[in-house]
Amino acid sequence: MEEYFDIPVNLNDDLDRKIADAFSIFDHHGQKTVDVREVGSILRFLGLVPTEQEVSETIAETEFAGDSSGTVHLSKFLPYVKNLIIERRMEPVAIEKLLEAFQVLDYEGKGFVTRDFMAKIMMEEGEPFSLEELEEMFSCAVDSSNVRIPYEYYLNQLIIDI
Amino acid sequence: MLRSCICIKKERRDSQNSSTSSCRSSEIERNAAAISNLDDDRDNRSFMKFLSSTLCFRIVRTPRRGMSMTKVERVIKATLLIQRWYRRYMARIEMKRRYTWTIFQNIEYSAEQDQVRLYNFFNDLLMHMPEAAKQVKDLDEVSTSSAEESLDDDFVDETDDSDDAMDDQKTYRGPHLNLPLEKQDLDMLINLFRKRKYSLHAKYVALILREAAKKLRRLDNINRASTEIKGSKTVTVVGDLHGKLDDLLVILYKNGLPSHTNCYVFNGDFVDRGKKSLEVLLILLSCFIIFPGCVMLNRGNHEDSVMNHRYGFTREVHQKYRHNADRLLKLIDQVYRHLPLGTLINNKIFVVHGGISENTDLNLIASVRRSKYISILRPPTQPNDDASDFKTEWKQVIDILWSDPIMNDPICPTPNKRGAGECFGPETTNKFLQRHNLTTLVRSHECKSDGYEIVHNGNVITVFSASNYYEIGSNKGAYIKFGANSDRYFVQFTAAASKTKKLTFRQQVDNVEKSAIRELKEKLREQKLNLQKQFKMRDVENTGHLSLSQWSEAMESVTNYKLPWRLLREKLAVMNENNEILYENTLQLIEIDDDIKIGANDSNKITDTMYTNRENLEAIFRMMDLDSNGLISIDEFKQACEMLSAYLPNYDVDQMLENCRMMDINKDSLVDLNEFLEAFRLSQQSANHTSVIRNSKLIETTVKVDENSIENAKNNSADNAHDENIKGGDAQVDEYEISEMKEVTSGGRMRKSPSIRSVVSVESLGQTVGNNNETKNDKLQNDDGVAIEDIISKVDDK
Repeated sequence: MEEYFDIPVNLNDDLDRKIADAFSIFDHHGQKTVDVREVGSILRFLGLVPTEQEVSETIAETEFAGDSSGTVHLSKFLPYVKNLIIERRMEPVAIEKLLEAFQVLDYEGKGFVTRDFMAKIMMEEGEPFSLEELEEMFSCAVDSSNVRIPYEYYLNQLIIDI
Repeated sequence: MLRSCICIKKERRDSQNSSTSSCRSSEIERNAAAISNLDDDRDNRSFMKFLSSTLCFRIVRTPRRGMSMTKVERVIKATLLIQRWYRRYMARIEMKRRYTWTIFQNIEYSAEQDQVRLYNFFNDLLMHMPEAAKQVKDLDEVSTSSAEESLDDDFVDETDDSDDAMDDQKTYRGPHLNLPLEKQDLDMLINLFRKRKYSLHAKYVALILREAAKKLRRLDNINRASTEIKGSKTVTVVGDLHGKLDDLLVILYKNGLPSHTNCYVFNGDFVDRGKKSLEVLLILLSCFIIFPGCVMLNRGNHEDSVMNHRYGFTREVHQKYRHNADRLLKLIDQVYRHLPLGTLINNKIFVVHGGISENTDLNLIASVRRSKYISILRPPTQPNDDASDFKTEWKQVIDILWSDPIMNDPICPTPNKRGAGECFGPETTNKFLQRHNLTTLVRSHECKSDGYEIVHNGNVITVFSASNYYEIGSNKGAYIKFGANSDRYFVQFTAAASKTKKLTFRQQVDNVEKSAIRELKEKLREQKLNLQKQFKMRDVENTGHLSLSQWSEAMESVTNYKLPWRLLREKLAVMNENNEILYENTLQLIEIDDDIKIGANDSNKITDTMYTNRENLEAIFRMMDLDSNGLISIDEFKQACEMLSAYLPNYDVDQMLENCRMMDINKDSLVDLNEFLEAFRLSQQSANHTSVIRNSKLIETTVKVDENSIENAKNNSADNAHDENIKGGDAQVDEYEISEMKEVTSGGRMRKSPSIRSVVSVESLGQTVGNNNETKNDKLQNDDGVAIEDIISKVDDK
């Protein structure tokens, strides 16, 4: 078992501290490390919208080399992510784009998509959802008919928090 | 939340622009990326909009390169967009859930730390004042011997045991108990506690406590259990219950009553925080009595009167048994001191409540005379013992009940953030396991959101059995079943499943967050003066605002909580256009709360603190009052305060002294006990002064420090359902969600079976617990498929 000595991390400005704070939430043992599986969540909380592939890239760039324990240390994470933010990569899209995306799926322009259709497409195409993600989305997206997802209404509800 | 995409697994380092990846998804990604760049161009966007509205993709093609997209490609792109966005949305919620957890944990541990510090102060005082120490020791012996006597006595004076208006024994309509206790008594108790129609007569409570203490006294310090010999097939380890009766009942329902083939180890912390601590304790003790050899109890750090004073159990006993509380609490102390300290399963798995430290030596622990530790925090005063030996032994006991595991080994022994015990890393665990030829350490003590957690390369398992511990929706509970051949069976459960089922994940998280912020605000209110000081200190030019960093620094220095203050900023402060925080606003914001009950909480808290500290303070006073005339000089008081401030950095000692001077009405520089206590109360209250004058639900806090008012305060708090130290999650429970996962060692390899989920309704608990028998347990073990269906069909039948 390797012993990790405390690698110093310099926090120079507010952006550094913001990244460090988000990181610290997943750092359960106060040693400035997180599990690789949390990297996606941290990026997303910082306002980035990476694809799964981009998350993997980030992990690859920041993971401890030659380490099979799957940890990422803040000393590598911080500069890499700071760069991502400064370069404005993985930026979020405007909500109108999302509406457009739903409208694309709504071939017939009915104003809603069916639950089955969404389930099929979300779990088979792009970077597929897991069953849990799907169920979670449906828990508030599907209306009382239990078959329809009135997407405009759904998006309006969710805007509040984004 | 791991997702799987084939191209990610196979070719991780391929960037988006690489053409070597042959995965369909990444191909689409590349196309989508190329197209999305064009999308930013306004002309294209409106054109695309036009395209999408006409639905005539195939027909409309422009000569511009990259513009032609098949319908399928558009769909894929839209899908990717939605997925990407959705994952970000969920990550924000997950983040919220995490920092909410951190808030709760910080508050909990810091409170424990205060408690321990106060006791360290007390202990040090004892060390420095041998005459006082002798006084305390004498008191101890008196209470010990009288308690020991009462263990063997019958309850002679029955009129004393009446409760409330029931002066005449004949009007008691609840059930009766007689020794020897049997299984039908257990069924009766479970039904009684669930339905709450009557409460059990105090003398029967005493009966159970006494009988249990008698039997516990005969046990060794370390219990032994086995899955191999004597026909015993499984041993189930249950973690912290903290007064959550429904969680205990669901475990007994799901896992069956104890028997020789279905042994139980209850790993401490049965009481405090939950509202039914007494019921939980009584059921556990009854099981222990009724099923000898099948139920093992380990002492936890909350099986300690010092902790019970602060965390609600003492108050609960006073509320439920107004006239008999003191006697019952003495008997409970007897139970505590005789509880074993740990359990060994198959001589390979060590089960203990907290953990270990570098020095933990099982042989030493096995040889300790555990009954001398009435409270773990206060070591027994034995002037004859060699001081260092005595301290070593005491530390061994404290460490196993208070320590926590950490991820990496610290360079030198690290004190625990709770104030007692240590933090132990994987190396320490390895050495310990090797030293005693063990394979695993199973412990509890820490709340885990999944109910259990495995760390230190699989050598340490934490199991926690109180679901919804911080708030409804905060965490699952779990228990572990050990079978032959190191089989392990993990079962997780959640109470109030029907309540949370109707809420989306986001709503659940929001609720828990609200609760956490509320508690945080309460803690901030306590420190209001200090907070103001810290803000002003940093605002050198007196502009009224601070930078985000300065504000965060101030918040952290006041509370000592390691929280992500920057992320919490929006709940606690307002920022102007220049990204500056108007800190005056924070001071106002912490006063505002949606929960109207806060007013009631305040009065509880003051009396709580008084009640908690009163005994400590009285003891301290008596120690300072060397000539025992009930008076101490201001100078002595000042000295004591200064000592105290070293232990409780958050206590405003100057304010305390000022109050004391004010209190000395007769100006003779002498302070009597009441003035002494009043000084402490006022210093607390001045910090709370403004917060008490808030909304219309103000409750006047005119607590005078004398015997009567303490009694009144106890009665008032009885009327208040909501209580600071009694945590949520005890709402009307009707459904439980259970999910099970099995880890089987076959051919030396661990295999995990997929989770099986089921729902149990609580209505069925009462009858079925009584009907559980051994055959059912066998089914569960041998043939999972059949057994689970059995249980589910049982639920459907009800």
